[in-house]
Amino acid sequence: MRLNLINFIIFLALLFVILHFGLASAQTDVIPDTENCLLCHRYPSMGRYDKSGQKRIFYVNEKQFANSVHGKLRCKACHVGLDEIPHTDVKKVDCSSKCHIKEPSTDKEFSHINMVEKYRASVHGEGSAKKPKPFAEDLPTCKYCHNNPMYNPFRGMWGKSEALSNETLARCIGCHTKKDWAEKFYSHFTQRMRNRRSQTEIIALCTSCHEDREKMARHGLESIETYKDTFHWSQVKYGVENAPDCLSCHVPVGYTTHDIRPRTDPVSPINIANRVNTCSNQGGLQTCHPGATARFATGRVHAYGMKAQIIAATGEVDGVDAEAQGLALVRQRAESDIPAEDIYHYKVLKLIKLFYQVLIAGTIGFMCLHQSLDYFRTKRKHKKSH
Amino acid sequence: MLDKGATLGGEPKRGSIVKTDKRYFVRLNYAERAQHFIFLGCFVVLVITGFMLKLPEDIVVKTFGGARDTVFFYRSLLHRIAGTMMIAVSVFHVFYLVFRPAGRRWLMDMLPRPRDLRDMVFNMLYYIGVKDEPPAYDRFNYKQKLEYYALISGTTLMSITGLLLWTEYRWSKFVLDIGILVHGMEAILACLAIMIWHLYEIHLRPHKFPIDNMWITGLIDEEEMKAEYPLHYHKIMEDPKLRKIYIRGEDQDLTPPRTVSIADLARIH
Repeated sequence: MRLNLINFIIFLALLFVILHFGLASAQTDVIPDTENCLLCHRYPSMGRYDKSGQKRIFYVNEKQFANSVHGKLRCKACHVGLDEIPHTDVKKVDCSSKCHIKEPSTDKEFSHINMVEKYRASVHGEGSAKKPKPFAEDLPTCKYCHNNPMYNPFRGMWGKSEALSNETLARCIGCHTKKDWAEKFYSHFTQRMRNRRSQTEIIALCTSCHEDREKMARHGLESIETYKDTFHWSQVKYGVENAPDCLSCHVPVGYTTHDIRPRTDPVSPINIANRVNTCSNQGGLQTCHPGATARFATGRVHAYGMKAQIIAATGEVDGVDAEAQGLALVRQRAESDIPAEDIYHYKVLKLIKLFYQVLIAGTIGFMCLHQSLDYFRTKRKHKKSH
Repeated sequence: MLDKGATLGGEPKRGSIVKTDKRYFVRLNYAERAQHFIFLGCFVVLVITGFMLKLPEDIVVKTFGGARDTVFFYRSLLHRIAGTMMIAVSVFHVFYLVFRPAGRRWLMDMLPRPRDLRDMVFNMLYYIGVKDEPPAYDRFNYKQKLEYYALISGTTLMSITGLLLWTEYRWSKFVLDIGILVHGMEAILACLAIMIWHLYEIHLRPHKFPIDNMWITGLIDEEEMKAEYPLHYHKIMEDPKLRKIYIRGEDQDLTPPRTVSIADLARIH
């Protein structure tokens, strides 16, 4: 009997705990879950394997979501459909759709359509309907680069202190008394006032495609591993804050990542006409080559890679046999892309390198031979004299 | 000819300018040792700070961690300071060669002569056992001359390409590419050459191991002088003027000259 009472108390306590946490997790700070999605999606084990065998997780951590840049949106603003359970009518998220939030400067419904349109026209876009790009599945979608990032404390621009954030925020809250709103608004600004990704993260993101030789060859491009031969990379390697990553040159001040254009496009920052501006980085945070002259700014930054190799040496190219399919395309592109002058430069550099390789091998070989002869002769002589 | 007792350090070599029973010969005077010392320091700093750029990423992160940007800042600063000092010493050396009597003697003794080619061939024959004795060398043998000219050409190339890279925004990328390539390749060559040719010659040869103090004292004893540089030895012994310059010890007149001129400064040991 006594045992039963104890069991009963334990049962009550457990019930209390379960109920308490269950209710607590159902509370929302920012936007009430009016669509009641969290009824199911709050369970971490929620997920399934899709047809291709990939594990998909449908769990939504409410707190985290509320702190993300999309925290003010309802689920259905992006996930259109979802009226049936199980969700058989789900559509892919389209970032260019309108999301029923008013954009304050125009009072119109907010949408990422501006960015999406720019992106479609950019080098990473799918091309026009008339002239679609081949291998469209290789092209990065919005989500390839953007996850749903979290707002985080404002750090790393004018001092690393988190207290700075708190002090500045305190000034906002003086007038904007609703703390949640003020925090969100503040985060919205500060999020955009610094680079959220470090240089190595950016390089890792870009090279995840651009160092894939096979993928690049399909599009008539060369792998950019030669970036890692540059002094730029040496600095990034050492975590120098001022060091240039991919975006420093390809998306300098006044450009946007969504509108990266090929070198041949006159609006591209790496077009010959805009190079001096790009290298000198006037008005940018980084101090690059402030005194850049036109002569300095016209050269090729990444070392000469596969394309130059292909043109300079007729015949086989190192390590790209597997991508023979794309080779013809690369050659065709290379011949139109690379000026004859560059090929000449490439050949001269190669020659100098060869000269030094022979010189080093010859000199050091001679030295080793000379000194070892000297060593044994001197030893022998010592022995003789005693 | 080689007396082991003398050369393996039976007698202390560390020279002092007091009267001893032993004769010592000056190989490097004060100015030359100072130049060597500064150049050596710069070289070590330049090699370390230069090749730090070539370390792979994971090693950089592992070794320097969160402080690696600070490390990079001081690396760059030190590389430039050492480079500037090395250029300064080199320029001073040229002045030394032209304007100081000791420098002019150095230059004359260092000039390549047909004899050096003959010495080299004979020395090779000695190495392979055809000849019993190495050739008799003058003040500088062919190995030292070769190294000296390699040093001059290397320093010139490194200085020019280094200055190019320092003022990168003025030059075309093609020139800079050549600069980067030459600077890197020349660095590899110089490092290997110093390790194999120079350090062996000075510190690792069987009778000099583990270290030859000559680079600090500037002196070698009579036995070594006779064995290694016999021609120069005879020249010195026959000429009272050269005796005064090159010999320390026994019959050296140590009273300082009455008037000190610039020419004498280089001679003061």
